[in-house]
Amino acid sequence: MSGQARPLTEAQSGLWYSQALDPANPIFNTGQYVELSGPLDLDAFRRAVDRASAEAEALSLVFRDGPDGPVQALGSAPRLSVVDLSAEDAPEVAARAAITAAMKTPADLARGPIAAQTLYRTGPDRHVWSQQVHHLANDGYGMVMLTRRVADLYAAFRAGEADGGRPFGALETVWAEDGEYRASARREQDRAWWMEALSGMDEVAGMAPGRAVTAHDFLRHEQPMADTAREAVGALAARARVPWPDVLTALVAAYCKRFVEGPEIVAGVPHMGRFGSAAARVPAMVMNVLPFRLAPDEDLPLEDFVRQAGQRLQAARRHGRYRSEQMRRDLGLLGGNRRLYGPLVNVQPYDKPPRFAGLDARLRVTGTGPVEDIAFTFRGEIGAAITLEVDANPQLYGQDAIEAHAARLECFLARAANAACLAELDTATPDEAAREIERFNDTAHPVPETTLCRLVEQALADHADAEAMRFGGASITYRELDRRTHELADALRRRGAGPDRTVAVALPRSPELVIALLGTLRAGAAYLPLDPDHPPARLATILRDAAPVAVLAEDDPHEIHGDRLLAPGDWVTGSQPAGGPTEQQQPDRPHLAPDHPAYVIYTSGSTGAPKGVVVPHRAIVNRLLWMKTQYGFGPGDRVLQKTPATFDVSVWEFFLPLVSGGTLVVAPPGAHRDPTAIAALIRDEGITAVHFVPSMLSAFLDVPGSKGLAPARVFCSGEELPADLRDRFHRRLAAQLHNLYGPTEAAVDVSHWDAGPGDRSRPIPIGHPVWNTRLMILDDRMRPVPPGATGQLFLGGVQLARGYLGRDDLTAERFVADPFHPGERLYRTGDIARRREDGAVVFLGRDDHQVKIRGLRIELGEIEAAIADSGLTRAAAVMARDGRIVAWIVPGDGYDADTLRDMLAARLPDYMVPAALVEMPRLPVTANGKLDRKALPAPRFASGGGNAPKGPDEQRLAALYVEILPLDGPPGRDDDFFALGGDSLLAVQLMLRIAEEWGHDPGFGALFEAPDIASLARRIAGGAAIRDEGLAPVITLARAGGGRAPLFLVHPAGGIGWGYRTLARALDPARTVHALQSPALDPARGLPDSIDALAAEYADRLEACHPAGPCHLGGWSVGGVIAQALAVELESRGREVGLVALLDAYPAECWQAEPEPTEAEALRALLAIAGYDPDSHAELDTRAKVIAFLRAGDSVLGNLPPAVQDGVIRAVLDTNRLVRNHRHRPFGGTLTHVRADADHADRPHLVADLWRPHCNAVDALGVPFLHPQLPGAQASALIAPELARRMLERERIVA
Amino acid sequence: MTDISREALRADIADILEIAPADLADDANLMDAGLDSMRAMNLAAQWEERGLPLDFADLGEAQTLAEIHALAQARQGKAPA
Repeated sequence: MSGQARPLTEAQSGLWYSQALDPANPIFNTGQYVELSGPLDLDAFRRAVDRASAEAEALSLVFRDGPDGPVQALGSAPRLSVVDLSAEDAPEVAARAAITAAMKTPADLARGPIAAQTLYRTGPDRHVWSQQVHHLANDGYGMVMLTRRVADLYAAFRAGEADGGRPFGALETVWAEDGEYRASARREQDRAWWMEALSGMDEVAGMAPGRAVTAHDFLRHEQPMADTAREAVGALAARARVPWPDVLTALVAAYCKRFVEGPEIVAGVPHMGRFGSAAARVPAMVMNVLPFRLAPDEDLPLEDFVRQAGQRLQAARRHGRYRSEQMRRDLGLLGGNRRLYGPLVNVQPYDKPPRFAGLDARLRVTGTGPVEDIAFTFRGEIGAAITLEVDANPQLYGQDAIEAHAARLECFLARAANAACLAELDTATPDEAAREIERFNDTAHPVPETTLCRLVEQALADHADAEAMRFGGASITYRELDRRTHELADALRRRGAGPDRTVAVALPRSPELVIALLGTLRAGAAYLPLDPDHPPARLATILRDAAPVAVLAEDDPHEIHGDRLLAPGDWVTGSQPAGGPTEQQQPDRPHLAPDHPAYVIYTSGSTGAPKGVVVPHRAIVNRLLWMKTQYGFGPGDRVLQKTPATFDVSVWEFFLPLVSGGTLVVAPPGAHRDPTAIAALIRDEGITAVHFVPSMLSAFLDVPGSKGLAPARVFCSGEELPADLRDRFHRRLAAQLHNLYGPTEAAVDVSHWDAGPGDRSRPIPIGHPVWNTRLMILDDRMRPVPPGATGQLFLGGVQLARGYLGRDDLTAERFVADPFHPGERLYRTGDIARRREDGAVVFLGRDDHQVKIRGLRIELGEIEAAIADSGLTRAAAVMARDGRIVAWIVPGDGYDADTLRDMLAARLPDYMVPAALVEMPRLPVTANGKLDRKALPAPRFASGGGNAPKGPDEQRLAALYVEILPLDGPPGRDDDFFALGGDSLLAVQLMLRIAEEWGHDPGFGALFEAPDIASLARRIAGGAAIRDEGLAPVITLARAGGGRAPLFLVHPAGGIGWGYRTLARALDPARTVHALQSPALDPARGLPDSIDALAAEYADRLEACHPAGPCHLGGWSVGGVIAQALAVELESRGREVGLVALLDAYPAECWQAEPEPTEAEALRALLAIAGYDPDSHAELDTRAKVIAFLRAGDSVLGNLPPAVQDGVIRAVLDTNRLVRNHRHRPFGGTLTHVRADADHADRPHLVADLWRPHCNAVDALGVPFLHPQLPGAQASALIAPELARRMLERERIVA
Repeated sequence: MTDISREALRADIADILEIAPADLADDANLMDAGLDSMRAMNLAAQWEERGLPLDFADLGEAQTLAEIHALAQARQGKAPA
């Protein structure tokens, strides 16, 4: 490094830090090339380039780390190199390949050069001039200046002049200006302005989910902007009298906003930062990115919108020297997903095609630095031509996605020509809208004009002698069902039942329940199911609201039915209410039409009262006939009825068998909660169709009785069906699995997805619409969203309910006019969804206050209203956390938690009573006065409350624990990060935050070894030099006194032993646990050439760490193979070995027949080690892609230095090779084997007995988990006590 | 090469600042009057099209209309045709 060393400017520092984190990342190279056609004066061109390069001092910079931070100094300037490619077959292609290769080569910042000027000769009179400069030295405007300067000099030299135009200024002036600004009052004012401008900013999101960390490359789509779009922007700029670049920025940001949740978008607007500055004549890295908050008022006249946006951009530019990196620091927006802005909108009106005298010049920009998210760059003149470049992070976007954005954006801009306001601008293109509204909903199918009643009556006639219903081992024929329902229908009609009337049914699951429902329908009335176990107050409210003509119940213990009660004993004769119609006035069979209601089901209502959904016959007929046809139901089918009648899933359970001539098998009351009882029913009754809420399905798969059942078809609905559950299902049962979706308001289900064994979807979609049904994903103004975008799910078609009983206001709110099909309605589900390329809809969550717990739909507002009505609280907020309902309460006069709980239990069903009440002095609110849900403390993990942290380091660290962990109170200095609820993901966050606070972090190894505040603070205070990545040959996972023999766990294939942390901590009584890690993790070392040699090395390490006394060994997977070899080695050295635990490990000979793992398999293992499912990332097929993916994620592995990641891959490959060549020697003791019983469906021969030839005895255990799950928390909870007990036993034996 | 009149420059600058030319004094600070980089860029682009010897950097360095005019006058002789 020559010249005087200078500290980096503020503008450079952020880039330096990013590059230093990932030195091999070439994305910091900026570059462009110009294709020059025509006769080139090579001598003049060379002189022009070399002169400009020499004037632009920044091109000669070199950088290094100094004791007080990074410094820079001037080295030697790059000179033009000329490469003649004209003899190549395809010279232009070769030139572009050479340019790309150079761009992908990371710059050597310490030695330079960091810039290059290259001229490729591609033919007579054809040249490609490439410029490449590291972003630390130059920015976009600097590149434009450089290019123009070369063009001016070339013109001058060709004309024989000595100079052309003005030379560049000295870099010194930029440095001086930076120093002045840093110390100025102006900077303080700018800072204050930005803090005001950015106050109350919510978490910033991008247009695509994922972590916005730059990859090593980026995607690019470039197109000339259509004249219609360009002219629309120009005309609007003229009308509004706003500079066109600001108009364009505002409109593009408004477009981007359409893809972001919440009220505003924060776009990043590159700011050249040179106006009124010496840097206006100096190529250098000066540019800044200004966060531009935009909450577009879509109803504002378009001119006003762009005028207001322009004013805000103008104001921001006035304070534009204040660095965005500094803003992030000021706002604490550092690390992980905490961003200052999302998409970049970069309008470069100065970037016009360069003009070279006598030549035709075409410019292409090959790189502008890191692409964290997506960048929309516009170059050119509004009156002439504009080029649109979309650059995107390949981790977040695909090429198709960015091309679609470009096309859509162009459409959006062109439409602005004729729009009065933003609201009139569709996001989707016309073709995309047609796909969403019509093509994906092409579901027209003929359905007879009939009623559910008639469908069943047809079956009653057709199948008179068939078995209609089973209950408790007894059967009822269709004939018997016909007679009994007919009698009840008569009795009900005498009480006034008929079309548009309701009959309440409050019976436990029984044949009488089925007769009650069908009898009601045959009387022409709609049935209203009630749960007799619900609180009487709730039942009374519903009865008052619905005014049924009769209540079919066994009794009336709460005295709320009055003379409406009709108990089963009275169904045949029908007891007459006083003054009711007489026998002689028996009415004729009522005229029942398809639009009359069939049933009314009450669901939780947000306003505090439950609301009754009125579903007409037409709707449920469509649903049942679709299902009958879709899944082929017929007389042989036996459908299990186990869903309570108050949930609409029960409707198809009851009636699908009865309209198909099949058998309805009624489960005993309470059986729906007992998976063992369900399994027995399926087996004993030969069930061919059964429904599960996914959480119940999971419990069902866990019970022994479910193994090997084949119930033909299993239907899931009610909550999201997890992909892992699907896969577990198919490993255990031989049955179809179907995922259905629908609200009560649309006749049970409106969409279906075949989640069969071949389905690889993650997440599992809710699928495609059923017959005569539309699923539309619309934005908040009911405009169709483009493919893949998130929006609200609306439902249309024949299955819609009539509305809410007696609540026209609520009906009007949720059932709205279909803007695309005049005269039809849409139901607003309140669900958030997106559409896959194949049209399948994916459910993403709720947009409102409704949650589902164990498949039950709950309006949190109903619970909040109940709390408010108690009169015991001043304020309350209710949310679902971790599958439980939690209420945050501000106590009022007379508050008492037990009293409140009792009052809620009297009014709400048990599943709606909060599981936890958290008392607070007041509820936290955001800057704009709304409840700050994120600030509500979680009701979990009481901290140790021990000694308070001492000294500034411990206190700062304690503050980070509070920030990151869900704590109730301040942690003590002895509190353990992991014991307080920390996991690997939170560990990554902690390390990032420590690095921000202290400028360095102690490494994950330090956290794993010293997770308490006092010890970790000591490690941090040790300084940057002592960094522990946790890759030492022996690491300590748990440390305990008491002199018990330590346990040594051997790493699995990846070579890392941290994965045993959970197991180590689950051992009780506590015991010191070490992990042995692979020497292959050290880039300077390799593996020995055999497992035995490796075992000898591990034995040496173990002895160094534990010189005398017995020890225990263990290992998972490959670690078990090594653990056995290590046991043999220790035995031969005369050491006492107690427990040898092999966690789902199998002897080496099992693998010898299998091919050696390829690099691809090692990469898959790496993904698995990091906690991802390799099967769902098939696209990650190269080392670079896997590493880039991991780096972008939040896994510990992804945040390790690249050299270590390479070490893990090497360890996987090398260890597996050694295992294949290994011959086990016999161990004289017992091997304890823990089998992953839920796994090995395709390799059933993998059992504990395989170890018999290699030991004295095998002690076989099994746990119901998959192989990868063994070190996890759930499996460890089972395994740890078994291992602990055996270690104590062996100690007694060896002692 | 057009002659560079102070009034023509005043009209251009006033137009981009959306004020009446009469309200733009010779010695008024242009940044205080609302000239920022985006507007300066537009102005520089217009002037470049018309062949005026003034660029974006000049607009930042010269703080007032009077200074810009003086700069243009001074440079007129050596400006490229």
